[in-house]
Amino acid sequence: MSATTHAPELGELGGRRVRGRPELYTSYRQDQALLNTAPKRAGVTALFLAGVVLPFLVGNDMVLLLATAAAAAIGAIGLNIVTGMAGQVSLGHAFFVGVGAFTAATLAGDPDSSRHIGFGLDMLLWLPGAAVVAGAFGALVSPLAVRLRGLYLAIVTLGLVFLGEHAFKELKDLTGGVGVGRPGPEAVVLGVDLTEPSTLLGLTLTRHVKLYLLMLVLLAVCAVLGRNVGRSALGRAFSAVRDRDIAAAVIGVPLTKYKVLAFTISSAFAGVSGALLYTIIGHIEPSSFNLLMSIRFIAMILIGGIATVSGAIMGAVFITMLPRMSQFLVRELPFLSGGQLLDQHQIEAVLYGLLIIGFLVFEPRGLFGVWLRVRNYWKGWPFSY
Amino acid sequence: MTRLAQAIVVGLGNGSIYALLALGFVIIYKATSVISFAQPSIMVAGAMLTYLFGHVVGLGFFPALALAAAATAVLALVVERTALRPMVGKPVFVVAIITIGVDVVIRVVVNRFIGLDVRPVDNPWGLSTTTFGGVIVQQRHIAMLLTTAVLVAALSLFFKYSRVGLAMRAAALDQETAQAQGVSVGMVFALSWAIAGALAAVAGAFVGTGTGIEGSTWTVALKALPAIILGGLDSVPGAVVGGILIGVVEALVATYQGSYFPWLGANFSVVSPYLVMLLVLLVRPYGLFGTPEVERV
Amino acid sequence: MATTRWRMLAILMLVLSLVATACGGGDDDADTDGDGGDGGGSAVGVTDDPCPNAVNADNGCIYLGIISDLTEGPFRALAVPLTDAQKAFWARVNNDGGIGGYDIDVETHIKDNKYIPETHKQVFEEIRGDVLGLAQTLGSPQTAAIIQDLRDDSIVAAPASWTSAWEFEDVIIESGTNYCMEMANAVDWYAEEQAAPTKVMAIHYPGDYGDDAAAGARLAAERIGAEFVDHPTQPGQENQSGAVAAIVQEKPDLVVVTTGPTELATIVGGAASQGFTGKVIGSSPTWNPALLQTAAAPALKAMYFQAGPWGPWGTESAGHAALREAFPDTTPNDGYVAGWVWQYPLKAALEKAVEDGNLTREGLLEAVKTLETVDYEGMLPEEAGNYAGEPADAVFRQSVVSQVDDTQPTGVNVVADFFTGPTAEGMAFDKPCFEA
Repeated sequence: MSATTHAPELGELGGRRVRGRPELYTSYRQDQALLNTAPKRAGVTALFLAGVVLPFLVGNDMVLLLATAAAAAIGAIGLNIVTGMAGQVSLGHAFFVGVGAFTAATLAGDPDSSRHIGFGLDMLLWLPGAAVVAGAFGALVSPLAVRLRGLYLAIVTLGLVFLGEHAFKELKDLTGGVGVGRPGPEAVVLGVDLTEPSTLLGLTLTRHVKLYLLMLVLLAVCAVLGRNVGRSALGRAFSAVRDRDIAAAVIGVPLTKYKVLAFTISSAFAGVSGALLYTIIGHIEPSSFNLLMSIRFIAMILIGGIATVSGAIMGAVFITMLPRMSQFLVRELPFLSGGQLLDQHQIEAVLYGLLIIGFLVFEPRGLFGVWLRVRNYWKGWPFSY
Repeated sequence: MTRLAQAIVVGLGNGSIYALLALGFVIIYKATSVISFAQPSIMVAGAMLTYLFGHVVGLGFFPALALAAAATAVLALVVERTALRPMVGKPVFVVAIITIGVDVVIRVVVNRFIGLDVRPVDNPWGLSTTTFGGVIVQQRHIAMLLTTAVLVAALSLFFKYSRVGLAMRAAALDQETAQAQGVSVGMVFALSWAIAGALAAVAGAFVGTGTGIEGSTWTVALKALPAIILGGLDSVPGAVVGGILIGVVEALVATYQGSYFPWLGANFSVVSPYLVMLLVLLVRPYGLFGTPEVERV
Repeated sequence: MATTRWRMLAILMLVLSLVATACGGGDDDADTDGDGGDGGGSAVGVTDDPCPNAVNADNGCIYLGIISDLTEGPFRALAVPLTDAQKAFWARVNNDGGIGGYDIDVETHIKDNKYIPETHKQVFEEIRGDVLGLAQTLGSPQTAAIIQDLRDDSIVAAPASWTSAWEFEDVIIESGTNYCMEMANAVDWYAEEQAAPTKVMAIHYPGDYGDDAAAGARLAAERIGAEFVDHPTQPGQENQSGAVAAIVQEKPDLVVVTTGPTELATIVGGAASQGFTGKVIGSSPTWNPALLQTAAAPALKAMYFQAGPWGPWGTESAGHAALREAFPDTTPNDGYVAGWVWQYPLKAALEKAVEDGNLTREGLLEAVKTLETVDYEGMLPEEAGNYAGEPADAVFRQSVVSQVDDTQPTGVNVVADFFTGPTAEGMAFDKPCFEA
């Protein structure tokens, strides 16, 4: 996880930097710092700038997908905390996403509506509100994790999704009910609608571009938060629980406390993600928060590479883009759609499944594993053996 | 009293279908430590094949069922060989996601063949009923229960007395040791998938005996998930008991919840298995019959 | 290692952005804003160039989009024939010379929403800049996810459901009556023509579909003074034991069912086998002719009536005949009829917009707002195509009732042609029924 191999036994330097040795760490704090090397700083800056420029280069539909991916990535970072870092596999993520979405919609909703409860609150209130309420539900559910392990926990949290979906369907004042739903929350901060189209320095910022930029900024904030969880005492305790919970308990890591914390933090991220996802989509329907959504989130962190923030982001982008990719492949490779057996849409759906299978069979470590292969090839280049 | 008996009878019928499906999950789990999310689509494929052999070709119900089960077993074998064998030894959740990919692929193709209409599964019982002391029993429910009993008995004997069954049990216990003793673990994996596929096909066909199958029939298979957890993931008898229990609980809740707990909302019965599962697991974290994990420090 | 992760992310984003650009550039060019032209035409979704595979090579092209449930979703069995019928409908229009010098293309922009609102919104965005209107937008929550975009861009869309909410949207051009009045009419008809029920029970899916029909049944039951029992149920044949138990226990003399086909058969067959002898009326999407090959067939034949917004496949009318002619070898399915009927107002609006010399999105919406009649070629009365007035005045309140008849291509035959029952007549209709 770190570059300590470069810096053995340097405690006597007491945390001072050594001139001309930028990657020499002389303290644990330096080693664990965010963006502690020049390439990292440059890389992340470039990446963020690329992210800002991107919406002006692609079509509106792609901007919407990217915004969705960014919002989903926040949820994936959250799932990564409980599943990747703390090792508690949860198939219940969709439930917390739903709690966040409906909390936000209720807090932000029209107070005069005769159909739904609404409080007409500002985004500064509904976004934290979504996190808090979803986090509270996470804390409520976490005792299950204290009791159960592995696949048992996974399926039981799946049960949570079914029970939650039922509750969402029944609580019509809050959710609008099946097949009807209610409008999503609107991104209004201090009376300013952040998604109102406008022009800035001659650039037209459409609703989608503004939504995307908002999501990008919030994703950056959440990514830093997620990374900070990982590199703090909390994250180390999570890793200990994941790797060997009995050993962790023996060295004085209280299991119950950390499992509860993992679920709470993860669910809070999920809540934020849900609130934002449905700001983008604009309409929430109770049956969206089902098994399939939970599985999509699990697939994101598995395909991205488990236990890393960047892996979660990559996975979210990959899974969100996957239907588009299979559409693209069918269109660009006409031999795929030549058959009489399946029509174009069916081939797209089949290809979606095949891409998931093929990808994981090829590289079970996910996108992160693909990167390792690429890096190791070039690291040793031209001696690539 | 009749109402209670009536509910239990319906529950036993549906429960026997869940039991067959749960058995498939458990057999795959025991061999490979993976929960296969491809079971729902394999079940619909089996039901569709039963329709094909029974209704289109015109064989009787049981020959059609046997043929469909065999064909579905072959389908499951192909899936195992192509998508899952390369994943031996890889993290189980990665493999689980792969089975989801498999599910999407099979489901779309089967949907293509189901097409627009409801596909009837011809069978001897239809919706005919028999009355036992005032309790009306659907004949197909009796047939389901009997078929499940026969299959479970046959499987138990197979695991207990046949060489292959013994090999499967050995591999489930410890793959490396089994391999060292000359058991082909690959064969065990393949066989587990084939058996699970055949069981799913039988379950699917019986789902269709009432009013046929359609694109959304696959959701029935999800009921097996609470059943396997309730019974214990690695327990064959647990799967049967879990399945039947889930069926009965569901039927009882469907019958009585409206009168006694209307505030739980309409259709609470559909999610009640999950609540039961949750409660049971809080008391017994490895289900009713599951093997607790032994921790060595 | 931490370094490499970020770097990898950078590379991945780069690759994805390349893919993204490639995807974006594939069929829809950079102009997706909705205010530019496409290929030299005068408005979005209208070109002077002929359509791909044009029938009339000299004509320009009007592009209409279709977003439907084509592969995995729960309404696939309805959505696929709907979509096929719509392709055939416009092919026929093109064969007759198109509209005002334009052919109509509904094949280029067909998207699969898998019945997920999120996906619906995403695929809508893909075609948003390329189509004049939508020939189909399937699903209520799905359409709700894009309704604000439709309003913003003045995009006219034909729905693929009969929920009463559509009456209240200008941009949605619905045809026929809604689930609510359809069921109210059917119950009124039953009370008048068959027997006055003393107890009516509604078994239905929750939501805009089932709740809408149940609301209509409840109003009718109240009017005729019958007791009303409400029993929501879930999709899935194995989930119907509660519904069957409820029928057996409550012993209603009329049950109205608003579910899917196998659920209907399970409920009716199950209740009949336990001694239920009343009658059953189903909403239009509840029926599938293949049910007559299942074990529930005798029960259905004995007790089932089918409410419908218009006549089934075998009805005698010019429109029905044209539809049958377009599908000579297909297994009949009333999904085709629905898909076909829903296109007439769109055709009428396009003709009007051409006549007004304003073939743009705004012009089309303007044309819709002034439509008072639509020629449905006899499939619906002309006054069904009224989009001009207030919802309560413009709403079409007539529907039909059919009975099971296995000599008919889709297994049902009209027994009561277009009529308005006293309940539907008296409805104030100031909001969708299911909200009441």
